[in-house]
Amino acid sequence: MINDKDSQKIVDYIQNFARKQSLFVMAYGTGCGAIEIPATMTSRYDAERFGIRGAATPRQADVLLITGYLATKTLKRVIRVYEQMQEPKYVIGFGSCTINGGMYFDSYNTINALEQYIPVDVYINGCMPRPESVISGFVKLQELIQQGKADNGKKYRENLEWYRTNQKKIIKNWKMPDYNW
Amino acid sequence: MTELIKEQHLLDSLTSAFKIKGRVIRDRRVEVFADKKMVSGILLFAKKQLGFIHLAHMTCIDWIDENKFELIYTIWSPIEKIHLFVKTKIERENPEMENIDSIWDQANTYEREIREMFGIQFPGLIGEQDFALEDWDEMPPMRKDFDTKKYALETYYQRPGREDAKDVRETISERSGTKVPDFAKKYSREK
Amino acid sequence: MEDLGLKIFGAILTTILGFTVGMTYGGIVRKLTARVQNRYGPPFYQNFLDLLKLQVKKTNIAHGFMGHMAPVWIIIAAVTVLLFIPILNGNLWFPNMSFHGDLIFLLYMMVFGSLGMALGAGQSGNPNSAIGVSRGLSQMVGFEIPFVLSLVALMIQYETTSVQELTQIQHETGVWNAISNPFAFLAALFASLGMFRYSPFDIVGAPAELASGPVSEFGGKYLGTMMSGGAIFAFIKLTLYVHLFLGGAGNPDNTGIIATLLGLGVLLIKTFTLYMVPVFYGWINPRYRTEQAIQYFWRWPTALGIIGVIWAVYS
Repeated sequence: MINDKDSQKIVDYIQNFARKQSLFVMAYGTGCGAIEIPATMTSRYDAERFGIRGAATPRQADVLLITGYLATKTLKRVIRVYEQMQEPKYVIGFGSCTINGGMYFDSYNTINALEQYIPVDVYINGCMPRPESVISGFVKLQELIQQGKADNGKKYRENLEWYRTNQKKIIKNWKMPDYNW
Repeated sequence: MTELIKEQHLLDSLTSAFKIKGRVIRDRRVEVFADKKMVSGILLFAKKQLGFIHLAHMTCIDWIDENKFELIYTIWSPIEKIHLFVKTKIERENPEMENIDSIWDQANTYEREIREMFGIQFPGLIGEQDFALEDWDEMPPMRKDFDTKKYALETYYQRPGREDAKDVRETISERSGTKVPDFAKKYSREK
Repeated sequence: MEDLGLKIFGAILTTILGFTVGMTYGGIVRKLTARVQNRYGPPFYQNFLDLLKLQVKKTNIAHGFMGHMAPVWIIIAAVTVLLFIPILNGNLWFPNMSFHGDLIFLLYMMVFGSLGMALGAGQSGNPNSAIGVSRGLSQMVGFEIPFVLSLVALMIQYETTSVQELTQIQHETGVWNAISNPFAFLAALFASLGMFRYSPFDIVGAPAELASGPVSEFGGKYLGTMMSGGAIFAFIKLTLYVHLFLGGAGNPDNTGIIATLLGLGVLLIKTFTLYMVPVFYGWINPRYRTEQAIQYFWRWPTALGIIGVIWAVYS
């Protein structure tokens, strides 16, 4: 009964509905984009009406927002946070800097394409994206979750070798605990 | 020049105490050019005798054409209300500078930053080798002969379509059909 | 046998009621807070969605035996205490075990959940959890004193420790304990500010400084279970207050369906009104530090509690 395809569909639908309606965002800002988050959360744009809410620790969080440029030093911390998060987990790349380096494309210390290091579900472009575009990015993520397309945690686990190679290219002194999920 | 009496007075007292050159830039701004070995003496003199008790800033400039590094110490007197710039030039090969964190404790932070970004050694400097960067084993990145774009292209993954990033001035001039002015050309990224 | 079946049915009904009401109240408070802050706010059923999402989230981390047991412990404590509290006065459907447990027993049992949380948080090894636990226990030391004083005042006044009897006395005389001993009621009301952990007494969770405190290493199902336990505990405290001070709810002489529903309606109105006291206080106050919170409870609320005891002795 439980392995029946149709009943599985219903279960998936309910699960995805709950996941999309309740997104706990990891309160961790990497660059200048973090300043847009208070504006998105507070009274003018009010992201909480979509069920978007801050979570203080990676254990409770669903969404990791990479807000703006990502220095190599920060990348190490981002990877640690990402690996501590529990599945299903989503990543939103925020601002031009996460897409192609933005104005820091020739900097010696910031990465240029985020999805080479951790899988990204949604990119929001702009420098900076306004709160409207942030909310539209979240809505896009909700659509992906409802369609069941946002399973990047699994992708990361399966292609861990490839991601690790890329990460170790940047982080030369790799002294990180191994997570076995 | 009647307004600049206190600045001129400061410059006179410095030049009479040390064999250095200097000039008054404008009101409340005085700069002196010192030899490498005299810097700590000047700073100590300014602090103890002239009331420049605050090290506001300390920075470094890479004059690659002259093959020199220039170190600039900005100190401030709350009584005279004057910024005094003490400037010195040191050789670019095996650069080394006297450590002044015995005069001002906060110099430690600036010196660590300069050591990391320019590779200038300060003997006796306390603190980790890493300041802002982590595990950096290339040439110090703020030196002019460090090609940051080349490094970024080699190290980080470029998104296709981004590598033709052009100078903003050229893009604007192409779009509007005007020429880039001559004075702006020397700042152009495309050589 | 029939009696036992009815009791089990009543217990299940009580648990569902406590859970639903607690969660809905939390959701309504989130909505109201949003409206106060000039936001639209999440829907009132947002807490249920959060809970469902947390329950379907994977949890692949283990923090030892107590880490697994802490949420279970909390929910056990919550359901146990709930069953020892009369939901409706003398009602056939919600009789529960209220005859067997008195106020002193409840006082002990209500700490049980916090203790489980403290042990679980301690084993998770996160420094934030340890700080959160120490803050939580300090705050508990603060608000328990006025709370216990107000309960002692009631016990002296009516010479009984049974919740059921206290409610029955109020029902018979028609005078609420909030009126017959206002000082004890005020002391208990102040203590409730600390009990519900809304600001300014949210020093335990404190997301900005402690990364949500004791629960910082718990996610997914663990957090969801803790959330349900917390919701039931909120309902417990409110119901207990209503029965002790605000005349209770329900009519013991008439236990028909309509009278039961009416009694539930009265209970919901009274609990919600009472719940608004810490919420309103929280909207206009920033967070206290730990020692400020303890000092707060040990000054006026404790003085009011002592006056309440004296009032009870000489009235």
